Amino acid sequence: MPVPATAPRRRRRSRGGDTPIGVALLWLGPALLLILGVVVFPAYELVKAAFSRYSITGLRLGDAGTTNFKNVLDHPDLITVLTNTVIWVVVVVALTVLVSLALAQFLAKDFFGRKVVRWAIIVPWAASLVITAKLFTLIYDYYYGTLNMILQTLHITSGPIDFLGDDRWTMPSMIMVGIFVSVPFTAYVFVAGLNAIPGDVYEAAKIDGARPWQTYWRITLPLLRPALVVASVLNIIYVFNSFPIIYTLNDRNPGYLHDTTITFMYKLAFKSAEKDVGMSAAAGIFNVILILIVIAIYLRTLKWQEQED
Amino acid sequence: MARKMTALIAGAGAAALVLSACSGGSGSGTAGGGSSSGAAKVTSIKLVAAEYSKDHTAAFWKQFADKYKAKTGITLDVQVVSWDSIDQQSSTMIQNNNAPDLLNLNVYASYAKDKLLYSADEVLAPAIKADVLDAFVKSGTYQGKMYGMPDLSSARALFYNKDLFTKAGIANPPKTWDEFEADAKKIQALGSGNIGYAMPLGPEESQGEFSIWTFNNGGDWKTAGKWSINSPKNVDTLTFLKKLSVTDKVTQNNPGKTNRAQAFDLFKSGKAGMVVGFSPLAGALDADKKVNYAVAPMPTKEAGGTPQTFGVTDYLMSFKKPGNQAAVKAFYDLYYQKDQVNQFIKAEGFLPVTKSGLEIFASDPKLKVYLATLPNIHLTPTDDPTWDKVKLAVQQNIGAGVSANGDPQAVLTALQKAAENGG
Amino acid sequence: MATVTHTAPPPLVTRRKVGWARARRYVLPLVGLAVALAFLGPYIVMVLNSLRPSSDVVQTPPTFLPRTWQWSTFSQVLGDQRFLNWLKTSLLVATSSTIIVVLAAIPAAYFTARFRFPGRIAFLFLVLITQMFAPTSLVVGLYREFFELNLVNTYLALILTNSAFNLAFAIWILHGFFSSIPKEVEESAHLDGCGRFGTLIRIMLPLSLPGVVTAVIFTFIAAWNEYVVALTLMLDDAKKPLTVGITSYVTGYEQHWDQLFAASIIAIIPVVILFAFIEKHLVGGLTAGSIK
Repeated sequence: MPVPATAPRRRRRSRGGDTPIGVALLWLGPALLLILGVVVFPAYELVKAAFSRYSITGLRLGDAGTTNFKNVLDHPDLITVLTNTVIWVVVVVALTVLVSLALAQFLAKDFFGRKVVRWAIIVPWAASLVITAKLFTLIYDYYYGTLNMILQTLHITSGPIDFLGDDRWTMPSMIMVGIFVSVPFTAYVFVAGLNAIPGDVYEAAKIDGARPWQTYWRITLPLLRPALVVASVLNIIYVFNSFPIIYTLNDRNPGYLHDTTITFMYKLAFKSAEKDVGMSAAAGIFNVILILIVIAIYLRTLKWQEQED
Repeated sequence: MARKMTALIAGAGAAALVLSACSGGSGSGTAGGGSSSGAAKVTSIKLVAAEYSKDHTAAFWKQFADKYKAKTGITLDVQVVSWDSIDQQSSTMIQNNNAPDLLNLNVYASYAKDKLLYSADEVLAPAIKADVLDAFVKSGTYQGKMYGMPDLSSARALFYNKDLFTKAGIANPPKTWDEFEADAKKIQALGSGNIGYAMPLGPEESQGEFSIWTFNNGGDWKTAGKWSINSPKNVDTLTFLKKLSVTDKVTQNNPGKTNRAQAFDLFKSGKAGMVVGFSPLAGALDADKKVNYAVAPMPTKEAGGTPQTFGVTDYLMSFKKPGNQAAVKAFYDLYYQKDQVNQFIKAEGFLPVTKSGLEIFASDPKLKVYLATLPNIHLTPTDDPTWDKVKLAVQQNIGAGVSANGDPQAVLTALQKAAENGG
Repeated sequence: MATVTHTAPPPLVTRRKVGWARARRYVLPLVGLAVALAFLGPYIVMVLNSLRPSSDVVQTPPTFLPRTWQWSTFSQVLGDQRFLNWLKTSLLVATSSTIIVVLAAIPAAYFTARFRFPGRIAFLFLVLITQMFAPTSLVVGLYREFFELNLVNTYLALILTNSAFNLAFAIWILHGFFSSIPKEVEESAHLDGCGRFGTLIRIMLPLSLPGVVTAVIFTFIAAWNEYVVALTLMLDDAKKPLTVGITSYVTGYEQHWDQLFAASIIAIIPVVILFAFIEKHLVGGLTAGSIK
């Protein structure tokens, strides 16, 4: 009978011991090959580009040393972009995780129509981000947007709100969409995690007289920990790099006022007065470093390591 | 066991293959891809074309490619890319020294400056060059040589809603800016969501909207070869636009964050009294049959002025690559055949770029208002490589000048500085 | 979760429990309805937009229901050969990528979960770090690489890219599942004579099925909706996947919102079908004792 895996198991004699690297390569080979070929090489190209000087046509003119990095750091809108990014990532990931936890718990219950709900949730995930973003641009529109129409019909607001153009509303509007598209897959990761918890654990808790909240806090959450770590780390990365939502919803807004690092990077290359591919590559490297730092801090806080060893 | 060993060897072999193949040159200086050094003729050339419409662009280029192959035996690979991403695509290709042979874009001068392009002397038959309208030859010429061959053109004019005009008691379209302002106020006063003038100064093409107004005030981006972005006339124009938006409140909400498509949508809904439009808009309005509209020349600042038409042309530029000169020449020869270039223009709903095309389209009454002014059309300074950057700066910044606390003088001066510093 | 009633409880608690058990039958489905509407709402708007002429979509003032109903859009889109080509490409790329990811991630995750070897932690971190590079910044390098390999404009390039991009998620989630299976289970399998590979197939996989299924769905959807790399690598119109192809419907000069949304809805269907097939493994019980 499987035993709940609450305590880390330490075996003095671990299976396989010191496995030779040749054998390891066999099992890891395909994955390693794909990653090296498809990600590492282009990443290397990105680094090369960051140290190069380019004409606005994209033609490489020569080396640039650290000029691109300096230009990015000196950019007047950098602080705004960084602030936006922090707000965007923190709020979207935190709310997504919270909503998804609740949703997963809800979906674990048996009720009439559960299947419909499960299917309904898959739709925002199944739809392409670009299309969803375009759809929301229409829904949020000042003149012909469905949201303004509904709000005014229900007398919640008296006049239309410029969700995308009014600087106070732009970030909240984008955050709503970000959460909307992130919750489905996060919820399913948690559902998978919940299903891995054997039912005996709950029965034991009930017999001990634990109330629902105690059960949740002391038993469910810790057992969901692997799922939580996976979901939040990956969410941080995906939300950080989330391009279509911010770009499309900001399509009519000039400047960088609501951009995050990823759209900033893109605009630097193609849409801004700088139109500098080298600078964009430098910004891309900063972006990766930033994500690395954020994840490192996050994982350190979670003390992820102890789970594995 | 043997199975595992084979897998290991195969894996290592594949890795080695990948890594060795990827050690291709770093390249700098030339955008000409290709491996050959000699003058061996190419068997296929590549065109990256911008997607004007779903139904017509791809279809046109396909039939063109077939004709081209039949005529020259060379394959024409056509890649149709949407306008949103064509900058990214072309930049990616050039960064990798793999520029296409022909590129359809709305700028060309920076590419000419980087010495990447063929000039007309090398690939354009003199008869064709003579047929191209002078205004377009001029705008496609950089440092005395023509590099940007026009594919089609468009011109702007003032579209107005005849029904709203009648309701507001306006008999004729405005001829001066004062009349325009008064008319816009009258329409706005009609209430029930009606808007006097839909003004798109969002990042998509604010340089176009601003151009058409300032040209009719005697302003321009460059005067006598020097940048004059913050000239008094330009500042006056931007101040007028700000007045319309902030003081008179006769525009739609947030003009600095509205793009053309949204302004057009308002006009197509019958809610906007006036908008600056072009022939594709007319095509859409005719298809919908909802709005009773008419087209008039732009109003000038003072009475008695000659209305200036603002026009845009896109370019088909060709990249110098070993062995493709003859193929590129054949491309232009075929494209500028009367039946080809005008077929494309007609299908997409734009305006001709050649004198012969002007004659062909003259029979279309709907285009009369544009064609009359086409030979003297006023364009943005696309022949200056700095404009490629300035245009982007304008797009990102000029909308701020018409917001509630916008400062037209400051915005234009900042742009002037940017232009003087090379963009 | 099962409701368990205690023996001889205090009267107040019984009443509360029984009251909740009765109300539960109505409250939960209502909440479910609200949730479903919240997630489907925008897509209902999308469906309605596909059933009205394009000009009605951006008409001011808007109406929730179409002013004129237009039923021909779906058949129009499905009859368009260009659309069918895009659909074929998407199916090919997404399916192949998913298969490759599953084949590559399962051994890798199993091995890193169970065996100590030099570079184990490094591998896991490498997998994670590679996810941090945004596809937008890698696109130029990818183009160069595939150009050198003469693989630009091939399905293979897109399949390999999508596989690599989604490995991290698959490896990590499977790693988590494999780690949480007690070693005793494997040990008994070894005692019965299963080799490492056999254990993986016959014991670990069935126990981690929800993880595998999650990885499958995740990869399929990610590959199905991938945009930036496909945009750059696929030059022929027929080889473009749906995400890239349907942007043709709305250009700066001509907008066919109705066709765009009809095409998008059709694009969602294969994903939903896949989900329908494997959903029960996603949420089905695995170990004995869980009553859902």
